[in-house]
Amino acid sequence: MKNSIKNSGPKNTHCVTYPARAEVRTMRKITSMLLATLFLMALFLAHTVAHAIDLDDSGSFTASGFYSLTGASVLGGQAQNSSAPWMYQQWNCPCSIQNWEYVGVYEKSKGFEINQESLVGVQLRKEFTNTFSVTGQFVMRAQNPNNSSSPSVDWLYAAWSPSADSPITVEAGRLRIPLYYYSDYLYIGYSYPWVRPPPDVYGWPIYAYDGANISYHTQIGSSAWTMNASAWAGSYKQTYDAYDTLIYYTTPTTESWDKMLGSYVSFTNGIVDLRAMVMKYRDNTEVQTQPVTTIVSNQFTRIEGLSANVDYENWVVRGEIDRYQQQAQALDIDNVYKYNLLGVGYKIGDFTPMVTHSYYTTITEPIESQSTNSLVVRWDFRPNTALKVQYDDNKDESHYAYKFFGDSRLLSVSLQGTF
Amino acid sequence: MKKNLLGVAVSLALTSICSMAYADLVVVVNAKNTASVTKDQITQSFLGSTNTFSPIDQPDGSPIRNEFYKTVAEKDPSQVRAIWSKLVFTGKAKPPKQFANSEEVKKEVAGNMNAIGYIEKSAVDSSVRVVYPAN
Repeated sequence: MKNSIKNSGPKNTHCVTYPARAEVRTMRKITSMLLATLFLMALFLAHTVAHAIDLDDSGSFTASGFYSLTGASVLGGQAQNSSAPWMYQQWNCPCSIQNWEYVGVYEKSKGFEINQESLVGVQLRKEFTNTFSVTGQFVMRAQNPNNSSSPSVDWLYAAWSPSADSPITVEAGRLRIPLYYYSDYLYIGYSYPWVRPPPDVYGWPIYAYDGANISYHTQIGSSAWTMNASAWAGSYKQTYDAYDTLIYYTTPTTESWDKMLGSYVSFTNGIVDLRAMVMKYRDNTEVQTQPVTTIVSNQFTRIEGLSANVDYENWVVRGEIDRYQQQAQALDIDNVYKYNLLGVGYKIGDFTPMVTHSYYTTITEPIESQSTNSLVVRWDFRPNTALKVQYDDNKDESHYAYKFFGDSRLLSVSLQGTF
Repeated sequence: MKKNLLGVAVSLALTSICSMAYADLVVVVNAKNTASVTKDQITQSFLGSTNTFSPIDQPDGSPIRNEFYKTVAEKDPSQVRAIWSKLVFTGKAKPPKQFANSEEVKKEVAGNMNAIGYIEKSAVDSSVRVVYPAN
């Protein structure tokens, strides 16, 4: 997806009206203030309760949440063998892209920034019976170009099971696509070892679907292994898709993924966790120029992912291989992305240091490709709260004629927790 | 030779200390529930991978809870919390119900055919059946 318009350099089309700058600034200010307030509330709550908060006497209506206060600084970088500052789209580089969905980019010239990835999420869950519940998850982000200041609705769904101990669950509503291993909990920092799952692997335009899924989980005989299988169907339309608009086309772009149909199966014995996923959909991408520029229309696309994780004694191993494929010879469309990551960590008391290599590449010229070596230390210094410090050495291996994001070295610090 | 004997003695002593530590803790199900339960199945229930049983927890931070997860699930409290944060915020499982102490957990297990909990050995009576450690 990242190179749908082939050979197009960074463009600066100013034919569409953006919100006035002052207005954007005010919205950002409000967002930052709200975020700061929510963050303090979260810290306060985390201090007083370790579990979900009951909102009614029966305990059937609960609130819980999570937060990441992330700051990072680009230590240095270069592009095409020169460390002279350059621009890529709106960014003053050396710079480092760490979130593709909401376009979190750190710029060296801005020093230490905390407004690119910080967020607070609240989840409300109402259980109507022991087999039927409704859950909403609302996330306030410091950086949300898709949706300005209002919190995004990451999840809003009804869940139903045939009985309380049934292995089957059906969910319908707004859900996150369980594409790669971390896709559906990309923002629950407390649950994984890094500041964020490697962005080399976690970059595309659409992360949610409106639809339904059915899942089944079971113990395999009397073995130590359990199996979890899930299938989903749905669609999603994102007007002003931040990924397309800001990173590639610089003109408001609408993308929709229609007729999504996917499934995964995973196996775990508490030590080893294996997962395989495949999803297909029809892609529609339109750049809102006058007249509209259609990038792809009803284009068949397939995504596949394999992952293997090990948690054995003090060892932590995370491995993943994924592939995105959108090809149509007649239309000269040949978008294939290959991704992988491998991380190895070792837990020493409350500290978990981990080294990770991640990589992605397209396959046709001009190739877009980046790789990263990172070192992170997670410190579980108090219940439900982790402090992480991460160093990333990112290499831009793209063959674009112009300077893309370039190489960068980034230092990140993040306080992450749940309440 | 002497050193080896000393080593054996030390490791025997350590083994008995370790087994003493969880000799105090037993995993129980409803007295009428005759299903056999392995250590792995207990772990999977408490870590949200299966809902064959509905797990009953002791208070977060309590010594018996830390001991249970350390000896049975072989996870420390932060690993357990990290696993549950993923499950809760992706809607894949509901965290175990939590009760104040062994007596309360026993009451809940005695009243629910599918429940599984861990209590102090001294709290065991005929309303529950011990499934771990196996006799």
